Amino acid sequence: MRQTEIAVLDKASYRWNQEEQPDQLYRGHNNQPNFLQRRARCWGIYRRRYSNWSEEVSSGIHPSSHQQQDEDPGKSDAPVDTGIRYAPYAIPPCHRRGTFQKQDQTHVNMEREQKPPERRTEGNKQDETSGSWFKIMVPFGIKYDEKWLLSLIQKQCSVPFTPVEFHYEKMQAQFFVENANIAFALKNINGKIWDKNNERVCVKDMTRISIFVSPSDAPCSVQKELKSEKLTMHKLYDVSRQSLDIHKLRFDPALVTLGVEMVPNPGNDMAASLQIHGENMPKLLPWNLSNTKPCQLADLSTTMQNASNIKNLNLPSNEVKAAGKLDKGQGLEPEEMSADRNSLCTTFPDKSTNISSILELFPKLLSLDSQESRPPTNFGIEAHKRLPTCKGSFFESDALKSLVLQFLRQYYLTYDSGDRQGLLGAYLDKACFSLSIPFNPEDPAPSSLCEYVKDNRNIKKLKDPHLRLQLLKSTKHDIVRSLCVLPTTQHDFSSFVVDQWLQTERVLCFSVKGVFKEVVGKSQSSVRAFTRTFIIVPASNSSLCILNDQLFVRDANPKETHSGLFIPVPTPASSSVPTLSQEQQEMVQAFSTQSGMNLQWSQKCLHDSHWDYTKAAQVLALLKAQCKIPEEALTQTDPGS
Amino acid sequence: MRRFRGHWEDWRRRRERSDYFHERPGRSHSGSGSRTREDVVTRPLPEQAASGSQMAMSVDFKTYVDQACRAAEEFVNIYYETMDKRRRALTRLYLDKATLIWNGNVVTGLEALNNFFEMLPSSEFQVNMLDCQPVHEQATQAQTTVLVVTSGTVKFDGNKQHFFNQTFLLTAQSTPNNTVWKIASDCFRFQDWASS
Repeated sequence: MRQTEIAVLDKASYRWNQEEQPDQLYRGHNNQPNFLQRRARCWGIYRRRYSNWSEEVSSGIHPSSHQQQDEDPGKSDAPVDTGIRYAPYAIPPCHRRGTFQKQDQTHVNMEREQKPPERRTEGNKQDETSGSWFKIMVPFGIKYDEKWLLSLIQKQCSVPFTPVEFHYEKMQAQFFVENANIAFALKNINGKIWDKNNERVCVKDMTRISIFVSPSDAPCSVQKELKSEKLTMHKLYDVSRQSLDIHKLRFDPALVTLGVEMVPNPGNDMAASLQIHGENMPKLLPWNLSNTKPCQLADLSTTMQNASNIKNLNLPSNEVKAAGKLDKGQGLEPEEMSADRNSLCTTFPDKSTNISSILELFPKLLSLDSQESRPPTNFGIEAHKRLPTCKGSFFESDALKSLVLQFLRQYYLTYDSGDRQGLLGAYLDKACFSLSIPFNPEDPAPSSLCEYVKDNRNIKKLKDPHLRLQLLKSTKHDIVRSLCVLPTTQHDFSSFVVDQWLQTERVLCFSVKGVFKEVVGKSQSSVRAFTRTFIIVPASNSSLCILNDQLFVRDANPKETHSGLFIPVPTPASSSVPTLSQEQQEMVQAFSTQSGMNLQWSQKCLHDSHWDYTKAAQVLALLKAQCKIPEEALTQTDPGS
Repeated sequence: MRRFRGHWEDWRRRRERSDYFHERPGRSHSGSGSRTREDVVTRPLPEQAASGSQMAMSVDFKTYVDQACRAAEEFVNIYYETMDKRRRALTRLYLDKATLIWNGNVVTGLEALNNFFEMLPSSEFQVNMLDCQPVHEQATQAQTTVLVVTSGTVKFDGNKQHFFNQTFLLTAQSTPNNTVWKIASDCFRFQDWASS
């Protein structure tokens, strides 16, 4: 290739090169000597290592170690007439991954850098190489035979290169190269190479071959080398301590001969290395990442497959990025961690918060910085934490229990009566009431609960301050007015679970949870579940009045719908004796004696069972089994008192 | 700081006169007292007149509601995030004598709360509903109080996901420059608990 034909950059390569300040490199066709000097300088690096390479910089053509066609070297930009498939648009029956020879892959890259060597030679270590992988793509490369294509490229390219993992992907041909220099050179020849139409050799029928270069991670085959060889890991794996020192990994001579790049971003390599671990060394315990460069611990953990095997995490002098990322460390549960001098510390105001944050993120930690800062029990390292058993209603005392239950009875008596005006006396003048229904992100506009939607006050979703104020009813008249428009209900007292959570001399607070039916004539009525919070204060006439009332209504789940038999709160009407036949009265008496319930409830039960004694007995047995017989059913006094 | 405080007072009075409402981050600017990231802090409360129902209306009910909403929103965000991600710091959000009733289990006092939260498996909360009401001072001893009710889903490690309802009573502890909200009472229940 003549030196004067250094390519004009196409857009793609220029974009990519912007970070690399292409000016310095590519205006070289006017400053040839500088360009060559720079290249010579960096190739000096190769010279030291790769003695089998030609040192003829200026010729631009290097007999590389891989196979080449016999072509006229001087006519590299003319169409080449060998090696072309004669079916330009057919996908070849076999395209295989390129074989390549690796005897030249003997450099270890100490740092991940994407800058061309020229820029780093100032003041950098002498054993530094270009250190990164680039992916070369040839669109429609599938038309071309691998060898032919590679040799064509090589002819044009001033720098000898060894393509890694040549393969076809869809219509493209792709391969990897390992240093920025080569990548630049390849970019250079974009648009400079041509194929030939299979039938004719006219210039106008030729197709320009494009080459696109982009930075990339190490190709899989390289990573797989680790796996298939296994030598590195074995070498570094200290069987006695069952530890893997990543620090040493990068300097390992075995790795050097393997020509594997170890980038300080452990994510990729850890993935490979831990895959090995999973197979061979299931008990990887300590893991030393000390003195690594910015370690993205988050990437680490998400790429690991066997992270749970890591028992000891050594991260001193590490720039672990923001603790928040550590949250993603699923499966990362080390038992020992050394994180001193870690810049993780700077995220938090003080060391103890830092430590506690680390402790929270890694709950199985036994030792931090070689100190057991707290006794093991407080680390939560017990085998499994369990949820406490769920229990029923809670009252601070029996007296409070009866007080609360009585209040609820009276309240719902009126509430279910069909006329809620009677509740005016239950609220203070300055009481507050609001209502809310669940918000399901997956079903934001459900059709049920439509009666409650207009009053729904969910300030998580409702941001308008005026609406927020409006939906909070704040005088007793407003409250009762809005209660009256809600559907008529029938609450199942037996389903009530009450948590009485605060009591002072000024206030009594509790939450009731239960189910109710919406009574809509005789048709099938909906069963709803609710949680209602009351804040009650003693009122002037030594009764209790409501100061705050918050009601949450949702659809009942199937279990709730079928449990309980909706024994309604006994209304005054039911306590007055309706005309019962003689037979019915005897039934009631017998039932009461047999069940232990008082007459009113026995009557109620029989009535609900349509005076079928057997059925009533069954119902009763069921209630008993579910422990759902309300206390007042068993008292022998009038429940209205 | 002193100079800033003067500005702060002016600004606050100007804000109260206007009806303009906007969301403000809850962090106050004062450095008084040690404050950790878990504290829920809002700007100072409007001055309350002495008791007497007529006088108490010198402060708009709307202001109380706005303030309650703001405190509730911020509080809920911090509470559940702390519960999920910094469980050990959770008890900083509770008063010393606070009570928690968790599915019928009662836990009182900071030490018991500490043990309780540590015993609880790690959690992942998702709050879908939030409602709040200001609580009139008749119920409290002139301590500003807000009732907060939340609902959503929670997944405890090793257990299936549950729907939950939770009720908080928040109390404000006011200093001249900021207000710190803490939980006086906490009531938590799964919607589908079973007493087995």
